[in-house]
Amino acid sequence: MRTYFIKRLLEMVPTILMITLVVFIMMRSIPGDPVVAMLGDAYTQEDAERVRHDYGLDKPVVVQYLIWLGKLVQGDWGTSILSGRPVLQDVMIRLPVTFELIVLSMGVALAIAIPAGIIGALRQNTWADYTATSVAMIGVSIPEFFIGVLLLLIFSIGLGGWLPSSGWVYLPGTCPTMVCGVSLWGNLQHVLMPALALGVGRAALLTRLLRASMLEVIRTEYVTTARAKGLAEKPVVFKHALKNALIPTITVMGLQVGFLIGGAIVVETLFAMPGLGTFGIDAIIARDYQQVQGFALITAFAFVGINLLVDLTYTFLDPRIRYA
Amino acid sequence: MQLRRFSWPTHLVAALVLSLVATAAAPPVADAQAPKKGGTLRVSYGNDIANLDFHTAPGYEMMWVAMNVGCGLIDITPDGKFVGDAAESWQVAPDGLMYTFKLHKNILFHDGTKVDAAAVKFSIDRLMDPATKSGMRSFFDSVHSTEVLDPLTLQVRMKQPYAFMLHMLAAYRTGLVIYSPTATQKYTVEDRKMGKPEAIPGCGPFRLVEWVKGTHLVMERFDKYFKPGRPLLDRIVIRTIKDPITEMAAFKAGEVDFIASFSPEHVDTLKAQSPNASIMTGKETTPMVAAMKVTVPKDGKPMSKERAPHPIFGDLRVRKAIGCYGIDRNEIVKIAFKGQATPWVAMAPPGTLESIDLNAKCPYDQAKAKALLKEAGYGPGGKPLTFEIMADTEKSVFNVIATVIKDQLARIGATANIRVLDKVSWMNTTLNDGPWDMYVEDLLSLLTIDSNGYLSNSTSTWSHPRHNDKKVDDFYARYAREMDATKRQAIGRELLEYMVDNVYWNNVSGSPFFMVAQPWVKGYTYNAEFEVDWETVWLDK
Amino acid sequence: MVKPISGGSLREAELPVSGVAWRAPAARSESPFVQGLRRLRRSMTALIGAGIVAVLLVVALFADVLAPFSPTDTDQTTTFAAPSWEHPLGTDQLGRDMLSRVIHGTRISLIVGVSSVLLALFVGVPFGMIAGYYGGQVDRLVMRVMDLILAFPIYLLAIILMVIFTPTAGLLGTMKVTGAIAIVRIPIYARLVRGSVLSIKEKEYVEACRALGVRDPWILFRHVLPNCLAPIIVTTTLGIATSIIVEATLSFLGLGTQPPTPSWGWDLKANVAFIQANMWLSLFPGLAIFVTVLGFNLFGDGLRDALDPRLK
Repeated sequence: MRTYFIKRLLEMVPTILMITLVVFIMMRSIPGDPVVAMLGDAYTQEDAERVRHDYGLDKPVVVQYLIWLGKLVQGDWGTSILSGRPVLQDVMIRLPVTFELIVLSMGVALAIAIPAGIIGALRQNTWADYTATSVAMIGVSIPEFFIGVLLLLIFSIGLGGWLPSSGWVYLPGTCPTMVCGVSLWGNLQHVLMPALALGVGRAALLTRLLRASMLEVIRTEYVTTARAKGLAEKPVVFKHALKNALIPTITVMGLQVGFLIGGAIVVETLFAMPGLGTFGIDAIIARDYQQVQGFALITAFAFVGINLLVDLTYTFLDPRIRYA
Repeated sequence: MQLRRFSWPTHLVAALVLSLVATAAAPPVADAQAPKKGGTLRVSYGNDIANLDFHTAPGYEMMWVAMNVGCGLIDITPDGKFVGDAAESWQVAPDGLMYTFKLHKNILFHDGTKVDAAAVKFSIDRLMDPATKSGMRSFFDSVHSTEVLDPLTLQVRMKQPYAFMLHMLAAYRTGLVIYSPTATQKYTVEDRKMGKPEAIPGCGPFRLVEWVKGTHLVMERFDKYFKPGRPLLDRIVIRTIKDPITEMAAFKAGEVDFIASFSPEHVDTLKAQSPNASIMTGKETTPMVAAMKVTVPKDGKPMSKERAPHPIFGDLRVRKAIGCYGIDRNEIVKIAFKGQATPWVAMAPPGTLESIDLNAKCPYDQAKAKALLKEAGYGPGGKPLTFEIMADTEKSVFNVIATVIKDQLARIGATANIRVLDKVSWMNTTLNDGPWDMYVEDLLSLLTIDSNGYLSNSTSTWSHPRHNDKKVDDFYARYAREMDATKRQAIGRELLEYMVDNVYWNNVSGSPFFMVAQPWVKGYTYNAEFEVDWETVWLDK
Repeated sequence: MVKPISGGSLREAELPVSGVAWRAPAARSESPFVQGLRRLRRSMTALIGAGIVAVLLVVALFADVLAPFSPTDTDQTTTFAAPSWEHPLGTDQLGRDMLSRVIHGTRISLIVGVSSVLLALFVGVPFGMIAGYYGGQVDRLVMRVMDLILAFPIYLLAIILMVIFTPTAGLLGTMKVTGAIAIVRIPIYARLVRGSVLSIKEKEYVEACRALGVRDPWILFRHVLPNCLAPIIVTTTLGIATSIIVEATLSFLGLGTQPPTPSWGWDLKANVAFIQANMWLSLFPGLAIFVTVLGFNLFGDGLRDALDPRLK
């Protein structure tokens, strides 16, 4: 088991490196580079060439990548050519926002999926079942940004600023900058609409999974035995069926993180949140190579890391599964 | 913003624009109530600040910060009068070859060091230094040298007279921003770019506290600001909200006090949502161009000195047919701006100093356009005319205008295909002499005709059409050197007419600029993009 | 060996429950399809979904006939018109009839949705089959590449691809978006098929075929492929739904198909800011996306229920 864990951990490294390499190369295939964006109205070809040389952008792509990698292993994530800001610093500032958004979105998804899945399993093929599934289905059929816009209309514009439209307030004790708003209530207000917009779409699959898993478990012998022993139905359901149904659900939740990271880009853009999502897309559009690398690195790490965690948890939770 | 009175065109649209401005304009500067000190002004930007090295960073978002954190020698009012900033007084020699500036005593940088003539000299010298790579370098072409006469007096010697020296120092780009010699030598350009407050000690009313890109920029009142009683605000917080609907929601909910540069397309929606908003605008100072490429590199090498005419638009007749007569500017303004802009032909937009209305030179005339195309070999029986219009995504209105132009050109038998690309790709193509036919963009705000030199002369990288016509350079040079107003305006007229006659610059209309403030924001003087000064602003709540 | 299928697909609805590879059916009973069809007919959700999809197909096919105006014709005299008899869904900023745009948008959305998925299919399935069947180095190599694509946060890849391609209008633009979405989906099909192939590779009758000298491609085609068809069909249907959402989201970010091509995603994004005064302009494209995606999701779900009885 331990060897397997270590092997998987080591396997993460080449995968993450491959992703960053591919992103590195792809970014340099896009027309334009950070020097164009940086010089702006001062742009002349001679100056541009000189600046490119100063920043090492005229070296072969693979060499540039190795230089980036070399700095990385020393803990230096590079500095943005465009803004002069150290990438690691900005990533650390943005990370808590996106992390909280993703966690709470999953919470929203579960909050919808668990009741819907249970109802669906217990009242299989009745109207309650269809309604529950349909509600979940609706969420996945609307693009996140549209849900976000509708929420904005209702809560920010419509109800006269019930919920703030944009920005961020940090949880007490987590302020990463010199100046920031800090308040638990404020934080919840700022994250509610984005989390709803992002999480609603995830509920459909989880509902279906939970429902199906619970159905499967309900039919298995040991639940029947428990019933035969005379235990009431509710405890039976909640203790045995639900716990076991959560296994594949957790698996899939982990797999959904990749999509959540992508969805976060859209939701953060709409709600002007200072998270990794806006960090990433702004960097891509502005051709900020270093910033994009930082974004690719952290998201690849999070994604691959969470997949590993899920695989391990899966093994841990379901003793029937063993890895070759 | 108008500098001198010229005969108003009796254009119906101009009258409409005026009435719109009158009803929507902010209340006058002088306010009956007593200003209250204190409070935080929350500003919303539609785009990110690139970086905070004032001398080199691109973008208005940076410039407006520079105007409040930094100070210059002089400022310009909406009426075109010059008022002193760091300079208490100044003198211009009669021959225009010498400028003498006397500074206020007791001006301090935010780190406590003195602002003296040496600091000003340092700043001007570094702007002129090619190693700095400042976008303002070309503005100082006429400057010979600077000399410190005494700690508070600076003399600027000119190579030749420059009629717009003061305008340039006041409001070309950021205007002159005085850098602290000690801080600039102590800290690196990266320190300044990333916004380290110690590296950016300006001499303006607000001190930089923190900049976190994509999150916020915070400025605080500088207590030792040399103008007494200013600034009134305690703090300014700038956030970037890119999506217009979110920006409007933030404004309506009162989360934002001031929107710097609001999208013209959504002004009506904002007005409907927030009827008490103070929407500020004026005569357009930014041109909306449908530029056409005139020459291409002969040997295919970008920026090659050897030029060949562009296969389509190298022919003046085609440029005239498409750009001059083939476009219905009124229709464009109606659809793209809901009439809230001025259809305009001349290179300098209506709000630019010494601007002239040349709309009569290019009336919408399908017949004439078709005739010219036929002459050039296109049209029925001739070659098919197909080309591409580039529209970048910085503003959605570019694509709207491109679409309208496409439909209009279809009426005269030309097929235009629209290519949408992001701003950096657009810059990459145009600045590197890449292949393009026509683009729709609004480039830069023009205080004077002179400030458009580097966008339209024959050599500059930013002069995208690459017309290669030295006569244009000649006009610009003479225009800049002529100190006599009447003679200069005559040269200006010649230049503008020459640009229209040769279609080296194809204006469609002015590009309107809007700023929006909550009703409790008082004391702001609207001066388009040129001067965004928050030192007189106070909050009535 | 049981290994969960790792990597995120865009909308995960198409993953089987416990990640177990699809098993082959019993050798000589009623074909799974006939069984499946019967179950399908009884499923309410599948029928509703199928109905919606059918209507959409008709609309897309006969768009030219159904739409009162051309979706790209502008008319400056009737911009931002409210819904009326002449323009039941109003007109947009350039005077284009919204109803016609929504109708023609069906065609574009279905084209993007279907072709992106088919493209992913035609690339992913052969790779998956080859990887599963031949195993060894080939398998490892193919799966490495697939893992790499899967390991990308999906939107990151799609966004970068679109910025490289540069969003355009017209057929080329549609193709670019299709390509970007397709690339991202290829690994899903590859993995799916590979799993199926692995499970039946060792079956006796396959061994027998080999012993008899039947050529590999024929084996793959005749025996392996039909067993993968069920999950492929389900994944494809659900994949279409996802692709349409992705196209709309790319448009929101400014990276989808560009005007004047009548794209629901673009219309939604462009008119969302006018939602207070001209609500119908963004509402109807949004509704169209919703109904279409819902239809495919319902149908796909129903298909899955019908074709894999273990899930009921």
